[in-house]
Amino acid sequence: MDNEYIHVFINGQKFKAKEGELVIDIARRNGIFIPTLCYEESLKPYGACRMCIVEIKNKGVKKKITTSCTLQAFDGLYVKTDSNEVLKHRRILLELYLAQAPNPEKIKELAQRYGVKKTRFKEKYKEKDPLNNSCILCGLCVRVCNEIMGAGVIGFIGRGEKTRINTPFFEKSDLCLGCKACAEVCPTGAIKFIDEGNFRIANSWSNTSVELKKCKMCGKYFAPSKLDEKIDSIYYYRDKNNELRDLCPDCRRKVITKRINLITENEVEKYAK
Amino acid sequence: MRINTLEDLKYIRETGLKKLKPKQKVRISVGMATCGISVGGDAVFEELKEKLKNREDIILTKTGCIGFCHVEPLVNVYIPGKGILIYHHVQPKDVEKIINNLDKAEQLDNVVCQIDKWDHITSDEIIYGEGFTNIPCWNELKFFKPQRKLVMRNSGIINPEDIDEYIAVGGYSALFKALKEMTPDEIIYEVKGSGLRGRGGAGFPTGIKWELAKKEKSDIKYLICNADEGDPGAYMNRNEMESDPHSVIEGMIIGGYAIGAQKGIIYIRAEYPLALYRLQKAIDGARHYGLLGKNILGSGFDFDITISKGAGAFVCGEETALIASIEGDIGRPRPRPPFPAQKGLWGKPTNINNVETWTNIPLIVKKGGDWFRGFGNEKSPGTKVFSLVGKVENVGLAEVELGTPIKTVVYNIGGGASSGKKVKAVQTGGPSGGCIPTKFFDLPIDYENLASVGSIMGSGGMVAMDENTCMVDTAKFFLDFTVDESCGKCVPCREGLKHMLFILENITKGNGKEEDIGTLEELSETVKTTSLCGLGQTAPNPVITTLKYFKDEYIEHINNKRCPALVCTALIEFEIDQKKCTGCSVCAKRCPTKAIEGILGKGETFKIDQNKCIKCGTCLEVCKFDAVIKTSKGVSNG
Ligand SMILES: Cc1cc2nc3c(=O)[nH]c(=O)nc-3n(C[C@H](O)[C@H](O)[C@H](O)COP(=O)(O)O)c2cc1C
Ligand code: SF4
Ligand code: SF4
Ligand code: SF4
Ligand code: SF4
Ligand code: FES
Ligand code: FES
Repeated sequence: MDNEYIHVFINGQKFKAKEGELVIDIARRNGIFIPTLCYEESLKPYGACRMCIVEIKNKGVKKKITTSCTLQAFDGLYVKTDSNEVLKHRRILLELYLAQAPNPEKIKELAQRYGVKKTRFKEKYKEKDPLNNSCILCGLCVRVCNEIMGAGVIGFIGRGEKTRINTPFFEKSDLCLGCKACAEVCPTGAIKFIDEGNFRIANSWSNTSVELKKCKMCGKYFAPSKLDEKIDSIYYYRDKNNELRDLCPDCRRKVITKRINLITENEVEKYAK
Repeated sequence: MRINTLEDLKYIRETGLKKLKPKQKVRISVGMATCGISVGGDAVFEELKEKLKNREDIILTKTGCIGFCHVEPLVNVYIPGKGILIYHHVQPKDVEKIINNLDKAEQLDNVVCQIDKWDHITSDEIIYGEGFTNIPCWNELKFFKPQRKLVMRNSGIINPEDIDEYIAVGGYSALFKALKEMTPDEIIYEVKGSGLRGRGGAGFPTGIKWELAKKEKSDIKYLICNADEGDPGAYMNRNEMESDPHSVIEGMIIGGYAIGAQKGIIYIRAEYPLALYRLQKAIDGARHYGLLGKNILGSGFDFDITISKGAGAFVCGEETALIASIEGDIGRPRPRPPFPAQKGLWGKPTNINNVETWTNIPLIVKKGGDWFRGFGNEKSPGTKVFSLVGKVENVGLAEVELGTPIKTVVYNIGGGASSGKKVKAVQTGGPSGGCIPTKFFDLPIDYENLASVGSIMGSGGMVAMDENTCMVDTAKFFLDFTVDESCGKCVPCREGLKHMLFILENITKGNGKEEDIGTLEELSETVKTTSLCGLGQTAPNPVITTLKYFKDEYIEHINNKRCPALVCTALIEFEIDQKKCTGCSVCAKRCPTKAIEGILGKGETFKIDQNKCIKCGTCLEVCKFDAVIKTSKGVSNG
């Protein structure tokens, strides 16, 4: 007997897994598609979007629908990712998403994939929504900002269907690093930033603005200064005197290429001799 | 003083008994739980205090609530050698009469019943006196007769603010037994054997929960009493804490010892100031006697309890949201696993039980699991306190053995519909419970049976509905609550319930479409199956059950734009029956929109202008001749 591994069955196929591993991770590793809107491997399971539901079909156990992003594997676990029951609920969830945020590509794509053409529910439309009526409250932005960046800029405001995401009291925040990690993880592209002059402005987050650093060579503004400081504080070993630190990515590339060229020229000369 | 030995405990029991059953003095106690206070119990108490200033022969105290809320304020008068008389609807003006007629106390007209003896269960039965021969005993009243008081064993008898009286009726003797004579495993064995199931809603076996928490290895373990009771209209837990706070605390200390926890926290709803006050007083009293703190009863076991005030949201009663809330996070549920027993408060193993669950513990330890199994039925032993409200005659708190048929609670205890109309359903389990029609009233109340008809036990709310209740409107009412209380984390509950409410609103306004019923059914299933926490998983129940058992009412609203119960304002009209109208013109004078016109004295001329009428119902209320009728497309109350 193999003590290290257990076996789980997904849609009838047998897979090796570790005890307690999340079913979504096992599925992803093996190329089985399960739709998700609120799961990120690097963040704690959250269980809000409910898209990742699967059906547990173990013999002798009452069949049950649950989310694969919170379901821990045990030996002999048998799940179906697209049973009729699962599909039925997933389609209704998609109708709910279409009423809440009809425009994002991701939502349209999933709706199409599951054959949902329209929603029976009344569309929710919020005037002057900083998130452009595209937020589905998956909480990824809030979690990445808290758990990964440690910045805690944004959070949930209100409860129930009135929940919004923004900075506290919808006021500009001076904690934002301008890292755009929130925009990066957002599944619906709801979060907008623009770089204007020496500032990066988080339009969605109450127009919070973050100062940008100027490239010593070309004078272009590039990374946010605060982000740079944060990285310095984390990667203490970074060479503080390295001239590359103050260059924008373009100039950095030029300098590095030049150095490489110099080296190669030297090498060539060496071989020529 | 500290209690260490059986002699110490006995000594305090004697002191307490002298207060509870004074040898030479009359003892008057006023029912002063929130229910009693809210209808004037405190004014009665103040009046008594004033009038008894110079009366050495009478002791005045407070007591909790015996459950008979319908006839409060209640005053108990104990006369040595004779027993306790309970007076109902007492007003400050009655005080003088009571204290001046003690020799013929039983002849006053507002006596409800007497208490001759009472089984506090943790002690031998206490005989208060058997001297009132012509007064019915409390358990002969229809309201009390089917009841069995285990949880409410002391409610409305002892003074909840005095630990001595709790000890007088056998309080803390179970703790003594647990710490001195039993091992943690033996306690868990008894609790498991008792079959006690959590009274907070889900009915999970308490003993098994404790066993899981005990198994976890950890330097610190927590124990929580869930006193967040947020169901509108339900107040069992409030009463248990206000009327017998020590029973909760004793249960918690025993639980702490059994699972190896050092800290207990009572998470209490912020709107319960009196319960909080009495719990704090009880904690202080227990500390004073060495029943909380270090080296309890000299056994070496350390345990203490603190109180944490709730964050005011219904969902904070859900265990993972509750833990988040204590940690200072927003009260939103977290996914399980990990379960609180593994990683709960501050990441430590945590055992959570409901207030009523805790109050049962001293009984089980004192009398044994087998004894407990003697009540209730096979799968659901013990009793449950229900808060019976709505359209029954006797609203109040009723404690019955599980397995008691619904009809016993509604008709015998509740006394049937107060309106004289027929009861048509009861809704159990708070805002997420289902509506059960009369055809199931023979059903014995237990966890499984309620689930089998689409409802839940919940924390014990029970709302009676009669023919004047519109079931569509009822479903809308409960959904309105759950939509408001959804934390907003997961999509089905946040978005789905809102759309359900929206559809129901349309139906009650007469804008329903035929396909609405199917949409509601489908959406209900999805919300129930896919929501993250118990709130979303149960919130569709009122809709599902009314659709199932009262579909005709939905169809009437949708197809015929008619509200058979005459409730949905958009679908009803007020009319004047000109044959009955005497032309007194009272309605016309009182109508806020001047919608009624007619010639004084000529009944046949009075008419309501439907374009002006805002359906406030004033005319119907003020007409002395029942000439105003409510109608809805042919149905009417006329
Ligand atoms: C929305 C929601 C609200 C709840 N409110 C309460 C409550 O007010 N009191 C309570 O004891 N349990 C409540 N519960 C149940 C708790 O999560 C938990 O199951 C219970 O406290 C466990 O105690 P027990 O085993 O003694 O019943 C609630 C559950 C949900 C889903
Ligand atoms: S850009 Fe600002 S708000 Fe967004 S993750 Fe970074 S720090 Fe947080
Ligand atoms: S803004 Fe984007 S990432 Fe943030 S909660 Fe909304 S959908 Fe999710
Ligand atoms: S079911 Fe409702 S209350 Fe529970 S987590 Fe989801 S949104 Fe929140
Ligand atoms: S229901 Fe109100 S508004 Fe209508 S006629 Fe009667 S009193 Fe006037
Ligand atoms: S990915 Fe599982 S609930 Fe969102
Ligand atoms: S008699 Fe007090 S709550 Fe009822």
